[in-house]
Amino acid sequence: MKKTDFQYYIGGAFQLGIGFGVVSLLSRWVTGNTILSSPETLIKYGLTGGIGYSLMGALALILFGILAKKIRDRFHDQQTIGDVLRERLTPRGYWFMITILLVISFHSIFVQAMGAGILLHMIFPLPVFSGMVFFLLFCFFIGGAGGMQRIHQLSGINVVLIFSAVIIIPVYFYIQEGVYPVYEGIKLYHPYILYVKNTEAVLFIFTAILIGFGQVIIDRASWQRVFIIKKEKLRITFTLAGLIWATIPLALSSLIMIIIFGRSYDSIYSLLFELIGKINSTLLIVLFVLFCFSAISSAVSAELHAIVTLIIKNIVGMLRPLSNKEKWRFTYLFSGAICLSLFIIVSILPPSPIELLFFFGNIYASVIVPMLYIILGSKTLPSLIPLASIIGTAGGFAALPIMENLFAIWISFCLSGLICLGHFIYNLLRMKLIVKV
Amino acid sequence: MLPIESFSIYIMFCVLVPLAGAFTLLFLFVFEKRIDLLEKQKREIALERELQTALYNQLNQEIQPHFFFNTLNSILALARLDRKAELIRSIETLSKLLKFKYRTLNNVISIEDELTYVNYYLEIQKTRFRDRLHYEIHLDNHVSKSIIIPFLIQTLVENAFKHAFERHIGEALLKINIIKIESAVHVTVWNNSLELNETSPQDGGVGLENIKRRLKLLFPDDETSVQLTDQEDGTAVFAIFPHVIMSEKLEGESTQ
Repeated sequence: MKKTDFQYYIGGAFQLGIGFGVVSLLSRWVTGNTILSSPETLIKYGLTGGIGYSLMGALALILFGILAKKIRDRFHDQQTIGDVLRERLTPRGYWFMITILLVISFHSIFVQAMGAGILLHMIFPLPVFSGMVFFLLFCFFIGGAGGMQRIHQLSGINVVLIFSAVIIIPVYFYIQEGVYPVYEGIKLYHPYILYVKNTEAVLFIFTAILIGFGQVIIDRASWQRVFIIKKEKLRITFTLAGLIWATIPLALSSLIMIIIFGRSYDSIYSLLFELIGKINSTLLIVLFVLFCFSAISSAVSAELHAIVTLIIKNIVGMLRPLSNKEKWRFTYLFSGAICLSLFIIVSILPPSPIELLFFFGNIYASVIVPMLYIILGSKTLPSLIPLASIIGTAGGFAALPIMENLFAIWISFCLSGLICLGHFIYNLLRMKLIVKV
Repeated sequence: MLPIESFSIYIMFCVLVPLAGAFTLLFLFVFEKRIDLLEKQKREIALERELQTALYNQLNQEIQPHFFFNTLNSILALARLDRKAELIRSIETLSKLLKFKYRTLNNVISIEDELTYVNYYLEIQKTRFRDRLHYEIHLDNHVSKSIIIPFLIQTLVENAFKHAFERHIGEALLKINIIKIESAVHVTVWNNSLELNETSPQDGGVGLENIKRRLKLLFPDDETSVQLTDQEDGTAVFAIFPHVIMSEKLEGESTQ
């Protein structure tokens, strides 16, 4: 395959083994959300919540690994989630689903960029936009213009940086401070964290697993990796990626306790970045900044690459046939436009974090059953199935005033699930009637 | 409230698990290729062993005196009748058939090559059976470069002759159908005999078992199947295995 071929941009030059597959998935899934949401779960649901958050990610990836083998067996000629949707849905259903995908993609990449903005705001005494120019240019060259090959070249460095930071920094602090002062400080300022018989955390863990699985099952970048990891190694790669990923939020939660053990806090989301103020060693500050930068930039690059591929292969390519040269031109154009719009939004908005954990949780929960139906079903599905995820999301949002956020997410999941089940039973009965006649 | 002891264990766990994760990754990077190589070698040895068995079965099954003498007699008849062109063609085909049989040492060949060999065999059988024998071969263009284990189709075709056509008088119809369905290659060898199952001796079963084992060794992670079924109008054997292009297989092996 030539380097100028657009297929090379989408999938890189070779099929990945377990090692590279795990690294590629880790660099996609250790994101700004991981850094920003770990404190949130720890503070809201205590230590049980911290473990639950790790479990969520691990289980989501493991479950998707089971599906990945089936996806690869059934849609072996495809390259993206959009290709599979086109094969399985009617044209109208396809465009519905692509719209949902685009909305989720832009939201997801926006959240990552905001995370980068907060990080830059906290580290450098410069206006956010100057840092953002550098950050987005980097992501543009790696994910936007570089393609899968370039992402993989950097993912090894990213994972080395991530593990160096999450291993060295906690060890350094706990050796310096000792566990006892941290325990005493947390007992004094934040005793709720140590309260483990927390029934609410159980509901949180199950809901988090639901959202996590929803996130992975509709993640454009993970779908692309399903088609570039060696088929016989798919399940083990996703399982190992899940288990290894789970170690990172755990390490981050131990870091959070270092930050909050002797004081209160203003905002949950910027807590981890406040670690910079606590670190005395310049080397560790550099390591921590590089960790945050590589986690966020690798996630943004993977996300950017996946969105651009989706737009060119499954949107523009569907509207009119594109030559290889045009595909490359559109790649630069769209990735440039996305980076520019992110730059403008992040520069205009104040660098304050947004509600992360359960924002969009309704969409992720309501998209699970329709996606499972799309992957495992055998016939072309009508637009009702993608519509079920929109109805589920709307139902969940409508239920928000009368019930808790977590329950609303389950409402979304059940509503879309019921619609798909109804369609499945209706189809089954109709087939039986046809056979009888 | 969590006591200090449990909290310490929790912190120790949080600090140590990333180390375990990093070690796992390191282990994968260092040993993955070696483990793959060992597995590949193990599979190749088993495949080669099975190929030897297949070759042995083939020799046992086919270079039997009656096949050989019947073929020689047919060729002799052509010489006596002075049908020179047909005679030359028959000897040439017999020579190619024997050459292929003794020279095949690879674990996989392309379907195209396998069919060439089958065609030699059928041509020879045509000189023996003359107008009694009618055969059709349908090959889906998508699978001509796909890989197959050597002697798969050949064994099925020979079984048809051995257990059906050579035992019963009357028309001998044989159909070979090779198509691609989704990501799998479906090979069907059908003959118009209805008594294959009743009369099938043990060596036919051994041939099918050998095919099953070799397919499983070649595609350990994919679904493969070999099935003999009695149909209303005859007997068919179905073999299903994944569609892998010859060049992809070679490429995959060179990158490992």
